[in-house]
Amino acid sequence: MNALSPNPGKTYDLNFARWVYENVDGGDRMALCMQCGTCSGSCPIGTQMDYGPRKLFMMIRAGMKEAVLTSNTLWNCVSCYNCVVRCPRKVPVTYILHDLAHVAVREGYAQAKDSDNARFARAFWWSAAKYGRTDERLVTAKYYFSFGMGEGIKRGMANQKIAMGMVKTKRMHLGMPHKVKNTGELKAMLAKAAELEAKKHGAK
Amino acid sequence: MTKTMSYYPGCSSQASAVHLDTSLRAVMGKLGVELREVEDWNCCGASVGHIDGGHLGMFALNGRNLAAAQAQGPEDFVTPCAACYLNSHYHNEKIRGDEDLKTEVNEVLAAGGKSYDGSLHVRHSCEVLVNDIGMDKVKEQVTKPLTGLKVAGWIGCQTVRPFAKTERGGEFATYDDPQFLDDFITACGADAVPFKGKTKCCGGSVSVMSPDKTLHLMKDILDEVKATGAEVVVTPCPLCQTNLEMYQPMINEKFGTDFNYPVMFYSQLMAVAFGLDAEKDAALHQHLIPPQAVIARAK
Repeated sequence: MNALSPNPGKTYDLNFARWVYENVDGGDRMALCMQCGTCSGSCPIGTQMDYGPRKLFMMIRAGMKEAVLTSNTLWNCVSCYNCVVRCPRKVPVTYILHDLAHVAVREGYAQAKDSDNARFARAFWWSAAKYGRTDERLVTAKYYFSFGMGEGIKRGMANQKIAMGMVKTKRMHLGMPHKVKNTGELKAMLAKAAELEAKKHGAK
Repeated sequence: MTKTMSYYPGCSSQASAVHLDTSLRAVMGKLGVELREVEDWNCCGASVGHIDGGHLGMFALNGRNLAAAQAQGPEDFVTPCAACYLNSHYHNEKIRGDEDLKTEVNEVLAAGGKSYDGSLHVRHSCEVLVNDIGMDKVKEQVTKPLTGLKVAGWIGCQTVRPFAKTERGGEFATYDDPQFLDDFITACGADAVPFKGKTKCCGGSVSVMSPDKTLHLMKDILDEVKATGAEVVVTPCPLCQTNLEMYQPMINEKFGTDFNYPVMFYSQLMAVAFGLDAEKDAALHQHLIPPQAVIARAK
C-alpha cells in the first residue's frame, strides 16, 4: 500500500486509479464500473456537480488526480445512497466519494479545505471529539464564523428566527453543551485512531 | 411479554429531535419493548465525521457505542435516527466481516479499556415495529383512531438506504418504494395519501450547511404534499423533520410558494392514537409549525 496517493504533478497520472482501487474505501469495486451512468442519473443533485459520479470515475481511470480531488462533486454529495443501492455492479459510490473527500482534505487541496462541507466537518468533529456529542448550536456557530466575523454575524442574523423558534419549542437548550461522562476514555480512543491513521498515510 | 433492547438515541434526541425521542419511548413502553439506554453513548459521526476524523476515527466513535451496548447485555441495538442507524450498521458489519479490521478497531477501543466482537444486531426502531411488534399489536393499542386525517408518509434516505436489509433477516422495506410508513399511518386510523416521493432526499447535512444548494429538493417534496391534499407530513428521520419544517419560510421566499405544512414523527402520531398525553408523550408542542389537525384530536 502506498503511503500517499501518487503526485508527480502531471495532469494525467496513470497510477492514480490503481492507488484509488487499493486505498479508498470501496475502491476495489470501483474497478468494476461499466460507465452505465445509473449513479449520475439517480443523483438528486447531480446537475449541480462539476462532474457526476460516472464521469468522476472515468477521470480517476484517466489519472486526472488534481481535477478529481478539487472537484465540487466530493462536496455536493447529499449522502442519499441512491447510487449505492442502484448500481448494477454494486459499486459503493457514496462511500467512495466520502473517502475521496477525506483524501482531498488530508492532501491539503485548498478547494477541498475551503469547501462548505469541510468547514462544517471541522466544526462537527470538534464537537464530537471534545464533548462526544454534536452540539447543534456550537457546530452551526463555529461553521458560520469559519467564514470570518462579518459573515458569521450575517449568517447568524439570517437564521435568528429559526434559532428563536427552536429555543421556544425546547429543541435548542441554553445551558452548557451535553457531553459524555467519560471524555477521557473517548479521547484516548480517538488519539489511538489518529495515531494508527497517521502511520498508514504519513502524518499531515 | 417485555423485550429488552439497548437504545441509542443519538445527539439529535437532546436537541432538534427531542420530540422523536420522547414519543418513541412512550410508544415503545406501551408496545412492550423496554429501551435500555446505551451507557454514556457518543455521536455516530453522521454524514461528515469521516472528513476530519478519518476512517478509524469513525470506527472509534461507533465501536465505543457498540462496546458499551454489548457490555450491558441485550443483543439488539436499536436507534430511531437514520444517520445513527446507517453508521452503527455499517461499522458493525465491517467489524464483523473483517478479522484484521476487528483487531485494529479493538486496538483503538482498548486505549479506552473497551472491546467489541461484532456480534450485536443493529436495528432501526421502524424495523423493530415491523418485525418484532407488528401492526396488529400497534392497532390493539389504538384508542383514539385518527379517522379522516390525511397524512403524507415521507421516509427520506438513510432509514432505508443502504440498509433496508435487516440484520435479523426480516422484511423491512425496499429501497425505492417502502410501505412500512403507510402501514404505520393506517394502523393509527389515518389515511395515508399515495405519495410517490417517499424516499426523496431533503439534502441532508448539505441543507444544514448550504441550503441555497438544496431548497429546490425540499420544494419538490412539498409540491407533492400539496398535490395530495395531505394535512400533515410524517417521517421517521430527525434531520428530514427539521429540514423540511424549518426551511419552509425560506422556500416560500425563494419560490413564491405558501407552504405551511406540519412535519412530525410516526411515533408522535402513534402516541396520539394510543391516547397518550399530547405534550408529555406526543410532544406536539415542540413544532415550529404546529400540527393543528393532530393537536385537535389529541388528549
